[in-house]
Amino acid sequence: MEEKKESNEGQSKEKFGKKVARFHNKYYKHLLLIPAIILLSSFIYMGIFYYNNGDFMHKDISLTGGTSITIHERIDTNELKSYLSDKLESLTVREISDLITREQISVIVETTSDAGTTREVLEDYLDYALTDENSSLEFTGSALSEGFFKQLLFAVLLAFVFMALVVFLIFRSFVPSLAIILAAFTDIFMTLALFNFLGMQMSTAGIIAFLMLIGYSVDTDILLTNRVLKRHEDSLNRRIFSAFKTGTTMTLTSLLAIITALLIVSSFSAVLTKIFTVLVIGLSFDLLNTWITNVSILKWYVKRKESRNEA
Amino acid sequence: MRLKLTWKIWILIIILVLSLISVFGLPPVFLQKGVLVTSVEPNSTAFEQGLRKGQIIMSVDNKKIEGLDDFKEILQGKFMTNETLRIVITTKNTEIILLTNEAPKITVAEISKSNIQFGLDLIGGSRAMVKAEEKKLSSVEIQNLIDITKNRLNEFGLTDLKVRRVSDLEGNYFMLVEIAGATPQDLEILIAQQGKFEAKIGNETVFIGGERDIASVCRGDPTCARIDKPQQIQGGYVTQFSFGITLSADAAKRHAEITEALEINTTNPEYLSKPLDLYLDNKLVDSLLISKGLQGRVTTQISVSGSGTGETQEESYKTAEAEMHKLQTLLITGSLPFKLEIVKLDTISPVLGGEFLRIILIAGLTALGVVAIVIFGRYRKIKASLALLLTSFSEVIIILGIASLISWNLDLPSIAGILIVVGTGIDQQIVILDEARQGLFLSLKQRMKRAFAIIIGAYFTAVVAMIPLLWAGAGLLKGFAFTTILGITTGVLITRPAFADMVKRIEKE
Repeated sequence: MEEKKESNEGQSKEKFGKKVARFHNKYYKHLLLIPAIILLSSFIYMGIFYYNNGDFMHKDISLTGGTSITIHERIDTNELKSYLSDKLESLTVREISDLITREQISVIVETTSDAGTTREVLEDYLDYALTDENSSLEFTGSALSEGFFKQLLFAVLLAFVFMALVVFLIFRSFVPSLAIILAAFTDIFMTLALFNFLGMQMSTAGIIAFLMLIGYSVDTDILLTNRVLKRHEDSLNRRIFSAFKTGTTMTLTSLLAIITALLIVSSFSAVLTKIFTVLVIGLSFDLLNTWITNVSILKWYVKRKESRNEA
Repeated sequence: MRLKLTWKIWILIIILVLSLISVFGLPPVFLQKGVLVTSVEPNSTAFEQGLRKGQIIMSVDNKKIEGLDDFKEILQGKFMTNETLRIVITTKNTEIILLTNEAPKITVAEISKSNIQFGLDLIGGSRAMVKAEEKKLSSVEIQNLIDITKNRLNEFGLTDLKVRRVSDLEGNYFMLVEIAGATPQDLEILIAQQGKFEAKIGNETVFIGGERDIASVCRGDPTCARIDKPQQIQGGYVTQFSFGITLSADAAKRHAEITEALEINTTNPEYLSKPLDLYLDNKLVDSLLISKGLQGRVTTQISVSGSGTGETQEESYKTAEAEMHKLQTLLITGSLPFKLEIVKLDTISPVLGGEFLRIILIAGLTALGVVAIVIFGRYRKIKASLALLLTSFSEVIIILGIASLISWNLDLPSIAGILIVVGTGIDQQIVILDEARQGLFLSLKQRMKRAFAIIIGAYFTAVVAMIPLLWAGAGLLKGFAFTTILGITTGVLITRPAFADMVKRIEKE
């Protein structure tokens, strides 16, 4: 009885697998439309964004220069904001509260004004001195931030080029390598578009996160390409499916771990919150770009090569 | 259970043990009782008796000290009267007896629980990055600047600090000053003020700050450096201070020559016609009338004065004290060769530090717990899942071990780096696990070889992506790149091979 049931299950599993394989064989090229549409919308959105803002992202004060003061006291943010608004340049006031009790822990004031002015204005309002007991201060001068941003951007670019070179060196065939690089690029680009769409500001931490994404996103692509190109024991679909099983386990594990960590640190560290948010967006897009974009291009390539060999 | 481990697993175990020793020391530092001396005021009684920074105070007057509270409790109320008392401080290696009527001039802190050094952004402190205004510095100039600044900060009484040179991709040099713990007042002024001190009569310079013109500056001696009683003025108080300096022979001669040419003041015949004007960075600080008796005389003793104001008596006294201290420091160390600009200044409150580390630890452990659930749900094998988690965990310990060994400062970017190491580590272990269960017609060894082909590929792409960051942005994000490269290299060389062997054993069973 038991055994029979199991084999039944196995059969239905196999049947389902065959259905999926048939579907995929028929429509895998069409599937490319999904990432293509998202990529196109991202391009259009980024174009409009650039037209409106004259830049590819909103930068925060760690990249434009300015002051950020965190006061570890309970302060009415709205009142503070209206007081400061005509005294400090491009001001944002944020509140940090405890994750569970929702109680306010501190207030963050960010402005492009310099450290001295900001501190003076705040002390006037608060009527007490800001010391290192009750506050933290971060100031970046515009002289540093300009060069800083350019260099970080250059580092990201260089990292991408190096990564691309290594991919070419590993696989030494043009189309599959290009598919990996394309998948990595679309990951980063779509993440940036959504990042902007959500109104987030780029910081040095954000740039770190994009660098992490370069390393993270190609892992699964390398796994896929390796299994598909360097092994011959199974059918193409089986090789893809085995990579899919391993790869999604990898990405989903990472995603769940990062989401958990994000929930815990979100009330505490702006730096880690930004890194984790970018990674969550990026890894989600990575699922799409590895298992649709990269798979479809690779399958197309292998099938063409096979049919050419037969002919 | 038969304990026959392969050499790869042995290497992992040995390195793990060494890392734990590196992190916690032998015997472990968290077992150490007492308080750590973080600074001793130079020339104080405690200093003369041999108490030094870095020593650990185990007991005071034979009362055991477990932590900061004990130390405070014992010293509290001891020096209420002006009576001279005898206190016995026992450190790890010596016993120090002090006969004093005031509390020892030292600062102490809780002994840290590990040898890991955390960055200022995690435990609090201040960091300033400085460059010359409108000038590209050469490596000699920046070294010069660093020497003067170190000297200045030391003269000011700050010892627990790091001053070093950093450069960026464009070849610009910066000076980076890092001070752990509480942020000193006037930090901005101390490191970025050019501090050009000039004493002029009319527009002729008599002397400037620095050792060329000034032989010595009186400090801490009430007979030649004093602060007067605060005086009430409109809207607050003003406090005068004055201290003596000794001019070098050259400067004294110059003083004589210049005063020689002056006339007697017509309205105030006790003094000369022009005063001695003191300028700090081209701003007039004070004007001193020169008594006529000094005319043309080679005098080396000069009194410098100034004042501090404040809303209350206490405030004006404190400003005067701080002003005097600053002026003394600048007169001793002289001016910086060029104008400076602070390009980055972070002062992080040490209050939140401990809490912050705790949150990061909780986040890390919870995330690892989630990974455990996912892995167990997917593979349903307790041994393999456990091996995976333990391997990832050991990777973190090895990174911390190496960081402690080379005194690497673990800052927030480094923590982010550890995160990516654990993330990619788990990913690669999943690859190993899956490869072990696939292609069963191949030998286990061949299957592992296949896994490593994928892992090495992923490894190299990650490393090359991190390399540019080692230099970009004046190295402020170097921690991230360094920890990541260190971690994934450890992974590929040590933990991954060991994990593969563990999987082989588990699969064979």
